[in-house]
Formats: sequence, structure tokens, C-alpha cells
Amino acid sequence: MSPARVRWRELLARFGLVLALLALILALSLLSDRFLSVPNLLNVLRQISINALIAFGMTAVILGRGIDLSVGSLLAYVGVVTATLAVSGLPAWLAIVAGLALGATLGALSGLFVAYAGIAPFIVTLAGLTIFRGMALAFTDGRPVTGLPPLFAEIGYGTFLGLPMPVWILLAFLVLTRLLLRHTALGRAIYAIGGNEEAARLAGIPVRRVTAFTYAFSGFAAALAAVVLTGRLNSAQPTAGVMFELDAIAAVVVGGTSLFGGRGGVFGTLVGALIIGVINNGMNLLNVPSFYQQIVKGGVILAALLIDRILTARRT
Amino acid sequence: MLEMRGIGKRFGGVVALRDVDFELRAGEVHALVGENGAGKSTLMKILSGVQPPSEGEIVFEGRPVAFRGVHEAQAAGIAMVYQELALVPHLSVAENLFLGRLRPLVRHRELVERSGELLAEVELDVDPRRTVASLPIGEQQLVEIAKALGRRSRVLVLDEPTAALSSQESDRLFAILRRLRQGGTSLVYISHRLEEVFALADRVTVLRDGGRVATHVLAEVDGERIVRDMVGREVARFGRASTRRETVRARFDYGGADLARNQLTLHEGEVTGVAGVAGSGRSRLCRTLYGAEGEASLDDVPVRSPRAALERGLAYVPEDRKGEGLSLVASVQANLAHAVLPRLSRVGLMRPGAERANAMTWTRRLGIRPPDPEREVATLSGGNQQKVVVGKGLAAEPRVLLMDEPTRGVDVGARTELYEVLDDLAGRGLSLLLASSDTDELIQLCDRILVFRHGAVATILHAPFDREEVVAHVTGARAVA
Repeated sequence: MSPARVRWRELLARFGLVLALLALILALSLLSDRFLSVPNLLNVLRQISINALIAFGMTAVILGRGIDLSVGSLLAYVGVVTATLAVSGLPAWLAIVAGLALGATLGALSGLFVAYAGIAPFIVTLAGLTIFRGMALAFTDGRPVTGLPPLFAEIGYGTFLGLPMPVWILLAFLVLTRLLLRHTALGRAIYAIGGNEEAARLAGIPVRRVTAFTYAFSGFAAALAAVVLTGRLNSAQPTAGVMFELDAIAAVVVGGTSLFGGRGGVFGTLVGALIIGVINNGMNLLNVPSFYQQIVKGGVILAALLIDRILTARRT
Repeated sequence: MLEMRGIGKRFGGVVALRDVDFELRAGEVHALVGENGAGKSTLMKILSGVQPPSEGEIVFEGRPVAFRGVHEAQAAGIAMVYQELALVPHLSVAENLFLGRLRPLVRHRELVERSGELLAEVELDVDPRRTVASLPIGEQQLVEIAKALGRRSRVLVLDEPTAALSSQESDRLFAILRRLRQGGTSLVYISHRLEEVFALADRVTVLRDGGRVATHVLAEVDGERIVRDMVGREVARFGRASTRRETVRARFDYGGADLARNQLTLHEGEVTGVAGVAGSGRSRLCRTLYGAEGEASLDDVPVRSPRAALERGLAYVPEDRKGEGLSLVASVQANLAHAVLPRLSRVGLMRPGAERANAMTWTRRLGIRPPDPEREVATLSGGNQQKVVVGKGLAAEPRVLLMDEPTRGVDVGARTELYEVLDDLAGRGLSLLLASSDTDELIQLCDRILVFRHGAVATILHAPFDREEVVAHVTGARAVA
């Protein structure tokens, strides 16, 4: 392959996603006159915020060649615990901090099973998926938690400088994740492990500790999403977050992060979440029945992976 | 019964074999020897249908044949038993024996019965329903041979079958191979161990640099003669002035499953070679010292992990660069940083300047091409990838650099560049431990060579080396002649 061709491929691999998103936006603004308006675009951002938050955490796990299927259930459990704490008189901010710590701890627990017991991540987090769901249902006896202090509504519906609070949280967490993955030694270690675990071990990287950390980070991200979702609903549902793990994985993968680890990043995940969000929003505006929406969404995921495969297959 | 005439093989511009004649008689064990890269495996791949020859012809039982694939060679009765076994670990012995020939509906009882007969032929008394993974490696080897017999093979090619076997397992294998010979099977036996060649084979063909040097009847020659045929040339030592100080910098104590307890003293500025055939303990020494397996201690303090080894001033260049050395999807810069993340960061935050400088230093120093640290490692040539692995180790600024086959699959130009850098670093006090199957490499770079045989140091040779002597010790010819 000539150097010029390599460059071309690299550019396409790097910016192809953004181009796809822009093309999608262009197409939808031609198809629907309601699409390209500030309120609608803010709406899209708010709609994707929960999925994007979870997906940012998932990005760290997948970069380290893992997977976290437990995030949807973890979100539900953290949501009901946080809400219960807040309702029972704890200051709302303290309840939220406790909820975030709980999410990170539960994630770390999965991480310990994966990294130290050597059980496949798919299995560990699949178990987490049912365990956390069961815990959420048992904790509230299956009922939603309501009567929350006003801070939650503020998080769900408030705005700051014209942007909805969930979007601010999304941006802040995006910056944090980007900082972690790209500018810390820990982030470098995550990429190294995903790229080649044995090479990372031989390079003296504490593979198990770093691997466990990615799951703790994913748990924290899901807890953050739980707080936002609780705010949006102004209540905590033990049945919330069903199948959220799949949407998050879809955003990561559509965003160009390799399921084999070591390649990708959190900006890609944001674009992936936006692509999925824009498609959903556009189909709603165009009155596409929801059954068909699901088919389209699946098709988009397959197409994204196919393109990724074509772009990376020729490299040796 | 089998004749290969004027066989040549080119890979692109590289000549792997030229004008090789090889003849195999019925009921004969014909050994094939030669140094790495001499063309042994290529010749046998052509025979067993893996690759077609570029020129020449094969006559099998009076008829010219041209195999278009392994299955055609197998159908004709030629089977190869590979170094890395071609068994499916989680299937049963019986299923493996009939792999590829199973009927759509497997009748297990019949399968087990017929397996029993085949296993009896190789004197292997195991339940055919057991999984292959549950057998020791020596018995797996026998299953592989039984599998070849089940295909009614009349020619069996064995590629270094004893590399992973204990001496008892080897003896048992030899007994079976001798019996097969009596039954009329012809065997081609590739080995680096001359003692085995003398113990087993009737004739030997020596290859060197892709050509046939000689074919001997073994009863008429000695080991020294074969070594002379294998070597055939003199190699100049690398022109490094020996500036090493006799200071003990590191003392190792290693022991492992079948690695004899041993001690090794490395000196500042000294290049210590580790020679030995595959399975002799050569590679395991490096991994053990680096804390990657087994137990080792450095200056009487145990080394329990690669991280601990790094902290104590050791670095390691593994043999398998894709499997253990590199993250192929990461950039050159990232790979060069992996072993020194703590040094390149402050309170956990990477220092971009330091990381960039580290990458530029080693890219320039080792001549990594293209000199672009952002470049994904997967897009580099093998030689340049290898330079990245070496750079990754050197970036850790070790006192001792452990290297296992640092130039395997590296072209001559890149190899020379690497030698120059290593020589220069040794001149500045770095202690090098160089495990290699390339005798020339050892002779050029080393001050002394430890020769491993059967898991222990058999001999220590000192510079200047006599090439034939080195090869004789490595192959065990010294023990024979």
C-alpha cells in the first residue's frame, strides 16, 4: 500500500464517523423541516445523555478488551438506593455522592472477579445484570421511589447558560473520560492491555489492577446516568435501564472502538451515541413505527462494524 | 520409493531452496539436518503438499506427483507431524484420530474401537474417549503419529518431534519409530540434536543456505563431519573492543520445573550468549530471570513479577514479538512508553514532552523506519517492529537486557543496525543476555556462550569462538563423537 493510500485510510478511519453524522443530519433536515431547529437538537442531546454517560464508561472497559453487561441493572439499583437515601432525609447532594460511590464499588466488584478470579467478563457482568436487577427490585419491593427533593428535578430539567443540565453533565464527563484515557498513565495502561495483555504484563503494567479499575469506572458512569435518569423521571424505578447495556455497547462500537480492545476513544463514542440518537429522533419525526425503528437501529450497528472491518482488515 | 529432484523454491526475490535432491528409501529413517534457515522445513512443506515447488519434480513410487494441497499428499500416503501439534485439544483422542474423516453421524462405539487399534500401534495405552488436552505432550505426539498411521501413511515426516519431550518420552518415541521402520514405513526425521540422529537414522542429508551439501550413511561418518557440513564457513566476530569491567552487577539464582538449579553472574558491559536447541531451556532462562515464570532471584532477593524485575533494572525482549512484545494497534510512541509509564508521568498525568522525547530518542537511535512515532506499529515491517520491541526494553534504561531471539525474521540490514546499537550499549556498561538459535549472531556479539542441553547448562564457551565447536556443543555432537 502506498503511503498516500495509508493516509487516506487513516483520515477516513478518523473522521469518517463525523462525516457520517453530518450526512445523516443533512439528510434528516431535508426530510423533516422540524429536525434542524435549536430546540430539537437540544432535545437530541438531552435524549442521548443517559446512553452517552453509560457508553463513556463502557468505552474504558471495551478498550481494555472487556465488556460490561451489568450497567443497566446497576443503574436501576443505584437509582433506587440514591433516591431512598434522599427521601429518608439525607441531604440530596450527599445521597448522590453515596450513589456514585456505590456504583463505583459495585463495578469494582465485577472487576475483581474478572481480573483476579479470571472469569470471562461476559459471564461476570451477565451475572451482575441479574443480581443488580434483583437487588433493585428487592430493595424497593418492586415499587418506584418518589417524593424526591428538588435537586433531582433541577438535574433533570434545569438549564445553565441555555443548555440543559444533563448536557452539561455529559460534557463534563466527556472531558473527564478523555483526560483519563488520553492523558494519564492509567489510560495508557488500559490501551496497552487491550492491545496485548501479555505484552502489557511483560512491560510491568499492573494488568489486574488496571482491568479492575475499568469496571469500577464503568460502574461510576452508570451511577452518574442513574442520577440523571432519576432527575428526568423525578422518581427512581427499579425496572429502569433494561437493555441499556446494549445501547451503550452499540454507541461504543458504532463510534469506532474495537471490541478486541486497544483501539478507539471516547469522542468516537460520543459521535456513535449521537448517530444513534439522531436516527431515533429522525425516525420519530418522520413517524416511522417503533417496530421498524428497531430494525433500522440494528442495521446501523451492523453497517458500522462492517465499515470498520473493511478499514482495518487490510492492515497486517 | 520417493525422490525429490532439483527442487527449488523462491519466495518473491528470496531463494529458500535451490536444486535440492532428496531420496527416501522404503523402510528407512532419513535425517534432515541444517542450521535455522537452511531450508529443512521448506523442503518438507513441499513434500507434504503445503507449498508447491518453484522448480523440480517429485517422483513417488515410480510416478511423478504434484500435490495441490495437504489432503492430496495425505491421500497418496505422505503425512507430516508438526512441531506445533495439529490436534484439537478439547476433542477426544478418538475424534482427533479421525478428524476430517468423520461421517456426518458419528458412531462413537465404532470410533472408539478403531481408535484402540491405532493407539496399540504406537503403544499408547489411553482411553480414546479422553480429551487430547488431558494428555501430557509426549502422548499427544504419539496420538499425532497414530493419526498419520490411520491414514495409511507410508511416509512420515517428523519435524523436531522431541523438542518438547522429556528423555523418557523421547526414548519411547524412538522405540516406536524403529518398529514402524521395521514395518516398512519410511521416516524423514528433522532434528537439531545430532545424538538423536545417530541413535535413530540410517542416512542423513545436510542442508545449508537452501542447498544440499551432502548425504551420508551414518555408520560411515562422525558428528564432527556433519557439523562441518552444516557450518561450512567462518564468521567474523563483531569488532567491539572488550572494555568490560569485571564487576559483578547481578547475581541470578534460577530454578524451575526441569531447569536445574543454577547460578549466573553477569558483568557490566558483558554480552552473554545462551545457545541450545528448541526446548533446551534457552528461552525459559530469560523468562525465569525476568519473573515471567518459575522462580528466580537477583542478588539473593526473589523476583516475583516482570514489574519487580523492571524495578530492579532488568528489561526483556521476548521471542514472540506479536504475541508478547507489542500492541500492534498502538502507535510506535505508545509502545515505546509502555514499560516506562511511571517515568513519563507525574501524579498519574502523562508528560507529553517526555513521552515524545522518549519516542524520538529510540526511533532515531534504532533507526525505526519510517521515523514517525505516531505510526501504528502494525503498519511497520517485521524488522522495524522488532526494533520497537528492543526500544521498548531499552527505554527502561536497564542494567541488564534479556533478549530472546532478537533478530528472528529480521532482514540483514535491520539486523546489522541492531547489532551496532547493542554493541554500543554494551560498550557503555549494559549487560546483555542474548538467547539465540542463530550461531552467527552469538559468535559476533558474545563474550561467552552458555550452551543449554536438556534444561541445564552443559558447557560454557569463551570468546574467541570456534564456530564448529559451538555448533558441535549445541547439537550434542561433542557428546557423540
